[in-house]
Amino acid sequence: MNNIKLTVSHAPFWHDGDSLFQMNLNIMIATLPVVIFAIIQFGAPAFGVLSLSLSSAMIWELIMNLVSKKRISIGDLNSAVIGLLFGMMLPATSPWWLIVTGTFVAVVLGKMIFGGIGSNPFNPTLVGMAFLMLSWKVFFDFDAAYVNYDFDFTALAPLAALKLQGAAAVTDLFPLGDLIMGRQVGAIGATFGLGLIIGGIYLILRGYIRWEISVSFILGIIVTAYCFKLANPEIYAGPMIHLFSGYTLMGAFFLATEHSSSPANRIPMFIYGFCAALMIILMRNIGVYADGTVLAILLLNLVNPLIDTIRPKTLGKGGNNA
Amino acid sequence: MAQSLAKEFTKGLWAEIPPFRLVLGLCPVLAVTKSVENGIGMGVATTFVLVFSNLLISLLRNVIPSKVRIACFIVIIATFVTIVELVMQAYTYELFLKLGIFIPLIVVNCIVLGRAEAFASKNSPVLSVADGLGIGIGFTLSLAALGAVRELLGNGTITIWGGTPVFEMGANFLPFQFMIEAPGAFVGLGLMLCLMNLIGKK
Amino acid sequence: MREMISMIVVLTVLTAVSGGLLAAVKSGTEVQIENQILKFQKAPAIQDIFPEATNDPLAERFTITAEDISLQIFPTKMADGSNAIVFETKGKGGYGGDVGLMIGINLETDQIVGARVTTHAETPGLGARAKDDPEFVSQFADQPIDANLALKNDSGTIDAMSGATITSKAVTLAAIQAQELYQKLKPEIVKQMK
Repeated sequence: MNNIKLTVSHAPFWHDGDSLFQMNLNIMIATLPVVIFAIIQFGAPAFGVLSLSLSSAMIWELIMNLVSKKRISIGDLNSAVIGLLFGMMLPATSPWWLIVTGTFVAVVLGKMIFGGIGSNPFNPTLVGMAFLMLSWKVFFDFDAAYVNYDFDFTALAPLAALKLQGAAAVTDLFPLGDLIMGRQVGAIGATFGLGLIIGGIYLILRGYIRWEISVSFILGIIVTAYCFKLANPEIYAGPMIHLFSGYTLMGAFFLATEHSSSPANRIPMFIYGFCAALMIILMRNIGVYADGTVLAILLLNLVNPLIDTIRPKTLGKGGNNA
Repeated sequence: MAQSLAKEFTKGLWAEIPPFRLVLGLCPVLAVTKSVENGIGMGVATTFVLVFSNLLISLLRNVIPSKVRIACFIVIIATFVTIVELVMQAYTYELFLKLGIFIPLIVVNCIVLGRAEAFASKNSPVLSVADGLGIGIGFTLSLAALGAVRELLGNGTITIWGGTPVFEMGANFLPFQFMIEAPGAFVGLGLMLCLMNLIGKK
Repeated sequence: MREMISMIVVLTVLTAVSGGLLAAVKSGTEVQIENQILKFQKAPAIQDIFPEATNDPLAERFTITAEDISLQIFPTKMADGSNAIVFETKGKGGYGGDVGLMIGINLETDQIVGARVTTHAETPGLGARAKDDPEFVSQFADQPIDANLALKNDSGTIDAMSGATITSKAVTLAAIQAQELYQKLKPEIVKQMK
């Protein structure tokens, strides 16, 4: 007998034989309901923003590939997903330079600098968004962005109105049905709640994202918002408004679940999703930002390596087995 | 002699340009580079301290006992920093207000102490002055360059001296405010380091 | 032993020389720095406190000395004709040393008209807000001269700036000191202004 201890690293090995290309393609398919709805609702400008965002993200990755003399990696469609999600988080009236700068930050500073796909500690899309939101707040005022549109529903961004006037004044303006069916003002891809849920469920069923993160995320929103509502229903809105407005559902299904910046074990996934949602509600109700989704998920990305240390004992390690 | 003099001087401008090659003295680099003017002011102040502390330490290098050399260096450096602070307060008060607390912090700038320990305490006064001047000018140039990038993107202007911009973007330019904020300094510095390495590799 | 002595001698000589040098530079630049502070700190502060002064407080400034205190006074005429004065006190115990506070007091009503922070070396973004954001010092405005100007923590009436309690405390100390000085020196000041 030899005394070599064989240390096997514990799972996570989520693999089902698919390629990156198929995974990213499926994520893009999952966004289709929302994207088609947005183009119908916001018209050609929305299509323009999405196309430019998607293509510029891929071009930035191509340029970085050429500059760093690495294998050309745009074929895995990862940067296309980043660009598409990025475009979905913008208002339809964004100017072209805003989009190009944003995708530069997202793809180059958010992903390629760290070594490309799988190595990024933060969600690249959110890195780009955070940059833009800190620099050009004006373009993320959704009320002002759609001033030339003529909607047949309340043309106020729910979260901004909530922040300004308190829950009691605005709850009646936003019936739940309107919010779910996308009859609200917001970013291109974030208004159509039902579409996001359909896309999310598709991804969960196909196994491309982990249900643990999405479910705990939504649970976190509901629990935290409900606690706030109990404390003071005059000021704080109920869980449903929070769930179906702003970037919440995009966060739950497309942003928080980004693979390399989210946990790989089950318990950490629950903690990660719940804490991200908790931070979002805290920022919305107490902080200065109308919608804290971007910063909250980035914050949880930051502590992700720490929570991911909660994992089962490695087989063969530990005291009681020889 | 003339050749090595030139070598010690020019190495500070490229081969050992402080924040980018030595990656030293980052605190002022990150903190004061909101505009070109601040960068140049900080750079000139540091250059002054570098040259004179290098000169004095080099002159005294055989007198200072090695066990208390760091204490002696700090005394010398702190003296010159305080002189700079008083002079700036007396003659360029507005700049002094902007740089504020970072002027006294030159004392603990590792470039100054680093040059004293690594160069001036081992070399002749003339060489030490050339070294101090070269490193100081390199430091000033780097601060000005980073300041230019941040000011141009974050504020849309370039201000060399005296508060009036020599260059302004058009009225349609919407400033990239992120670059003026503290994280913009880190990102800007990182990108410039990356660019320097890219050029330096060839 | 020789090394020990040489260490002591070198360090002593070095610090002595540098101390002498600094003293020389300081006395050489003192007047100039005083002028600069007058021009860039005190003048804007007076302008802020009394935007409608009808005289030139800087030109008419005088110094009074009583009971071994010497105080520089800037007399002001307010728009409604009443006399007021501005003077500076130093609050001890800020993060970066003393915090200067210019305080304007109406001589007729004995009310504080306003206050502004002048020289300080507090942390930018935290303590330095005392100067950059006049909200904190505006709490002193319109207070009577015998008001309790300590922080609420010290059972006073002033709200501290969040995240900058130490600076806030230094500023209130300066204000309290100003109250005491004013009450002590008022007869003298009135006499001088006539």
